[in-house]
Amino acid sequence: MTFYHQQLIKIRDEVYPDAYVCKRIGEAKRFMDRELECSMSLADIAEEASFSTFHFIRLFKRLYGQTPYQYLIAARIAKAKRLLLSGKTVKDVCFSVGFESTSSFTGLFKKLTGSTPTAFKNKYVKQKSGY
Amino acid sequence: MMPPAFSKNFFQKIISIRAAMKIKVTSLLVDDQEKALKFYTDVLGFIKKTEIPMGDHKWLTVVSNEERDGVELLLEPMAFSPAVVYQKALFEAGIPLTAFNVDDVQTEYERLVKLGVTFSMPPTRMGPATLAVFDDTCGNHIQIIQV
Repeated sequence: MTFYHQQLIKIRDEVYPDAYVCKRIGEAKRFMDRELECSMSLADIAEEASFSTFHFIRLFKRLYGQTPYQYLIAARIAKAKRLLLSGKTVKDVCFSVGFESTSSFTGLFKKLTGSTPTAFKNKYVKQKSGY
Repeated sequence: MMPPAFSKNFFQKIISIRAAMKIKVTSLLVDDQEKALKFYTDVLGFIKKTEIPMGDHKWLTVVSNEERDGVELLLEPMAFSPAVVYQKALFEAGIPLTAFNVDDVQTEYERLVKLGVTFSMPPTRMGPATLAVFDDTCGNHIQIIQV
């Protein structure tokens, strides 16, 4: 066993909760990945992992470094970027990734990427056409 | 009160300047560029992106097949002797020089083992992630990770 492998196991045993808890949190994350386009509450996600909402938020943040809500929004925006680049309209993309209004979608998109969905799409089209 | 050089406007300017930077290339020291290109394309499945002759060596980059416009990995020659010491020390301790994301570590582990790749760490759970470490035959340990 290498020094790195030994250190990794030591840190794992000191830092992380038991494997079963990690597995359940991982399942909740995969649930979010699968159901990005659906409207879901934190309680729904926590229930998927069989935790109370607040306990789930604490554990998720400990394991992934961000809250489940932050993760969900980032995953939705990442998918939105891919859909925008595939040629879909901003409105179609907005509803395809689980947002209920284009204004909240546009606001969060700008917050995370630095540009609005329309500006992001236009920039890509310009790059592709060589201008 | 903040001095003029540290006004809110000053920090906003700094943030806007920083936001313009992008990570386009990251590098990996390799002991032989030709051997590295073969391993990183034929075995790992990356795609050659750029190959520009530069004297004794090349500017040689590969990209992920799934993200051809993504970050390029520069297979950097070790023309600077202290780099050899650095790479050797990391290798002996089993410390990976970099890590790549995969969808399924176990599947990738089995695929690479069949191709003759040597692993110093088999798939190992680390909290919510699964990791494994292999020898890239170019002087490095490389980690694959599934989150």
